[in-house]
Amino acid sequence: MSAENPAIRLTGLTKVFGTVTAVDHVDLDIAEGEFFSMLGPSGSGKTTVLRLIAGFEQPTAGTISLFGQDVTERAPFDRDVNTVFQDYALFPHMTVLENVAYGLRVRGVSRRDRLARARDALETVRLGGFGDRKPSQLSGGQRQRVALARATVVRPKALLLDEPLGALDLKLREQMQVELKELQRELGITFIFVTHDQEEALTLSDRIAVFNEGKIEQLGTPAEIYDRPVSPFVAAFVGTSNVFDDEVSRRLVGHGGLHSLRPEKISIGPELSPPATDRTALGTLAEVIYVGSSTRLIVDLDVGKRITVLEQNDAHRVGEDQRGSRVSVGFQDVDVVDLESATATAQQ
Amino acid sequence: MNRYTENRRGRRSQALLTGLALASVALLTACGTTQGSGGGSSEGPKAATELGKTEGAVSILAWPGYVEDGSNDPAVDWVSAFEDETGCTVTSKTYGTSDEAFNLMKTGEYDVVAASGDASLRLVAAGDVAPVNTDLIPNYEGIYDFLKMQSWNSVDGVSYGIPHGYGANLLMYNTEAVKPAPTSWDVVFDKSSAYKGKVTAYDSPIYIADAAVYLMAHQPDLGIKNPYALDETQLKAAVDLLKEQRVNIGEYWSDYLKEIQAFETGDTVVGTTWQVIRNSLAAGTKAEVIVPEEGVTGWSDTWMIASEAKNPNCAYKWLDYIASPEANAQATEYFGEAPSNQAACDFRSEGSCESFHAGDADYASKIWYWSTPIAECLDGRTDVECTDYSAWTTAWQEIKG
Amino acid sequence: MTVDASAPPGNRMTVPPPRDTLGRRGSVFLSLHPRLRLTLLLSAPLFWLGLVYIAALAALLITALWTVDTFTGQISQTWTLDNIITVLTGSLYQTVTVRTVGVALLVTIVDIVIALPIAFYMAKVASPRAQRILVIAVLMPLWASYLVKAYAWRSVLSQDGILQWLLAPFGGETPGYGLPATIITLSYLWLPYVILPIYAGLERVPDSLLEASGDLGGKTGATLRLVVLPMIWPAIIAGSIFSFALSLGDYITVNIVGGANQLLGNLVYTNVGAANNLPLAAAIALIPIVIIFGYLAVVRRTGALENL
Repeated sequence: MSAENPAIRLTGLTKVFGTVTAVDHVDLDIAEGEFFSMLGPSGSGKTTVLRLIAGFEQPTAGTISLFGQDVTERAPFDRDVNTVFQDYALFPHMTVLENVAYGLRVRGVSRRDRLARARDALETVRLGGFGDRKPSQLSGGQRQRVALARATVVRPKALLLDEPLGALDLKLREQMQVELKELQRELGITFIFVTHDQEEALTLSDRIAVFNEGKIEQLGTPAEIYDRPVSPFVAAFVGTSNVFDDEVSRRLVGHGGLHSLRPEKISIGPELSPPATDRTALGTLAEVIYVGSSTRLIVDLDVGKRITVLEQNDAHRVGEDQRGSRVSVGFQDVDVVDLESATATAQQ
Repeated sequence: MNRYTENRRGRRSQALLTGLALASVALLTACGTTQGSGGGSSEGPKAATELGKTEGAVSILAWPGYVEDGSNDPAVDWVSAFEDETGCTVTSKTYGTSDEAFNLMKTGEYDVVAASGDASLRLVAAGDVAPVNTDLIPNYEGIYDFLKMQSWNSVDGVSYGIPHGYGANLLMYNTEAVKPAPTSWDVVFDKSSAYKGKVTAYDSPIYIADAAVYLMAHQPDLGIKNPYALDETQLKAAVDLLKEQRVNIGEYWSDYLKEIQAFETGDTVVGTTWQVIRNSLAAGTKAEVIVPEEGVTGWSDTWMIASEAKNPNCAYKWLDYIASPEANAQATEYFGEAPSNQAACDFRSEGSCESFHAGDADYASKIWYWSTPIAECLDGRTDVECTDYSAWTTAWQEIKG
Repeated sequence: MTVDASAPPGNRMTVPPPRDTLGRRGSVFLSLHPRLRLTLLLSAPLFWLGLVYIAALAALLITALWTVDTFTGQISQTWTLDNIITVLTGSLYQTVTVRTVGVALLVTIVDIVIALPIAFYMAKVASPRAQRILVIAVLMPLWASYLVKAYAWRSVLSQDGILQWLLAPFGGETPGYGLPATIITLSYLWLPYVILPIYAGLERVPDSLLEASGDLGGKTGATLRLVVLPMIWPAIIAGSIFSFALSLGDYITVNIVGGANQLLGNLVYTNVGAANNLPLAAAIALIPIVIIFGYLAVVRRTGALENL
């Protein structure tokens, strides 16, 4: 990551809509060739940042530079980035091939060249024979790939993807995730990927920025975000977390403060044979939810806290008939994340 | 597949259309036949010889402003007095053009009609109105003689109605724009190019008669004796004159409010008009009206009785009432024309009779009253066939282009 | 399950079953017979359309084949093509037809040129609040009487009207009454009918398509030409059908501001009113109908109607 000329640099980026501050002083560097995700709930400002980078919105304050060039004042057609829209935004009156060739057409590429290049691009997204169809005759996944081909055929320096997989069903989604990753590697350009799906972000990204209320709550690799959330918000939004307040922490962790603990880091056993871990606690099994590869257990601890425990399903899995029975749970000190100190670190 | 279903749908709707068309033909033919057998009886209707008991109601078709019962303006009401006097309840309908009146009379729903000269003869010819026995109308006595038994209200010496009011189609000009003050219609004909785009004319085929009046004076060789009796050659001469005029016309008028406005704003500076239009112009408008030396056309309206009137006795009562000095004065003053009753001026407001030249037989003699042109020449010629109103209508459309 | 079993039986009866009324039985019957339902639903409008609209047109066509006894005003039902031939060959009708079509085309062009930017601003630029206000503003003239508006233009275009007053300082002058005045007034009258379909068409163009075009490098002109225009083409055609057809049939506006000119509508009016020649009027009225059908056929070829 060259600190001098990152692919994209946002400085003090702010966008105010009326009385709502959608983006609040965001500073961010995204490196060339990086698969970068912006993760957050709806209304957190991630899409607005993407639209600011694309040039669809003008920032209230701050600057945007691409490869060292300030593009804040430039129109979308003057920026070397392209967007894949959430609704794909394919032109309904054009064929698939014309859609893909559109970017070349408005750049004045000759008809022969642009159609040839569009055909190549369609080949890369495995839609070779679909050029003469209208977008309305394609499935969701196919439209998605057309949108990708259309955005990449003009060789942008960065590709902006606005929840591109949001409209697809789970199976197709997983398949497209793989394809996206491959495409990014193949093209070697920066992908900026906006999503509210934490699993997608964790799977695909080199780095993730977690957005909350117009600010970046945490910036880091997927592992950092998942294992070391810096705030209750990140802990709860990225995966599932058991967050302990001061009172509960004192009794479970041994000292006060705000802590989080992932469900899969918790072991569970019968009341009389607690797991051999740093810390243990007793409770009642309130609910048993079978989720295929694992089982989610809801335990009401005697200290007055309801926690979630995720158990891999093996030979002796906890059955539904054990609901209401007494259990003991245990965890290692090293798995407990101290949210307050983490927040303090992040703010320095 | 798409194409196939579309075709099929197309064929089905075509069949539906054909069916509907056939059904409507049948319907129309049926209607037409019953209508066709009604009118046009060879034997004319007879006039009443004596009056019976009044029926208690009468239905009247008239120009706006002729039958006012106070519903438009509480101060304008001469119908209530009639109802009180005779016990005949009046229902009335107004019309906008002579042709509309002609069509409405065909419905047979009206006992009485006030018709202008360009409708009256057609009504007589179509058998829609009956002769009127003037002996049964005491107030007929008081009507100006120069209005009685004229070509537009009598046929072969038989009276078909009672004269109501009359007026002339005059020449109005803007005194600032048109100098010197004109004395002839030539300012709207041969010399109209001086006022190109600001000349106006009455928008009706009957206006051809105005051109004929002009030609009577300026091209005597044509031999026009009556502007409503034009043979082919004479009509052509009039049409040619009007086509030349057309180039300089700003607009034609049939709605008199339109002409009032055009003169007030200066969009029109010269053209035909009615006295009532001059009287209605905003104060300060520089406009004068004259009777040009060639003479003028005009109208004289006639109260007629339907041949199949359901209430003939009340109809006669109305004709008598509206010819009375009081009622005649009220109605003609409200409309803006000269009254037909000699004594009516005693009941009109100060000066109003003078401004319409009421009773001025000399003035009235200069007026060629509107008559319907018919094939049988109105001027008595028998060696030639005259052009009828439909020929005039066609000609008028061609003049306007 | 446990909840259900322990609940007292009375609780289950809190919602009584619907009573078996006649209306209810009818509803059940209809819901089971969708075809009958459709028939009942459509029969009234279809009857209206068929009788009032198509039959009236057919009647018009038939009337054109009759003649009228001009003096007595009786229609005589002898079949003849005279009226049609008169209309086809008479130089008067040719001149007036050309004039009318010219006026209608110019009105349509003027309206589209004015409507496009207004509709674009309404659909794509204005805030939702401004959008609502603008829609009302566009519709507002429709609340006023047609005659009032035409007479208002008569006064605006007059020699001492507001237009003259505005243009005089720049050496211009009002066109006065005539065909230009007719085109101006008709354009004004039909403008809402052209703006609204184009506005609706633009509303249906997602903003993301405009953004996608810009994003791919399309400048404003290219975006309008290659994306917006093709997509709202059917809407423009729909608007043009309104302004073109309405202009073809107008006779009141031209009467008020058209000076001495007459259009096809005036010929129809004169023949129905003054000349009492319904068959000839019907024959003349067929001209605009034929023109409109021709126009629709041309439009259909471009494929614009399929998207309407």
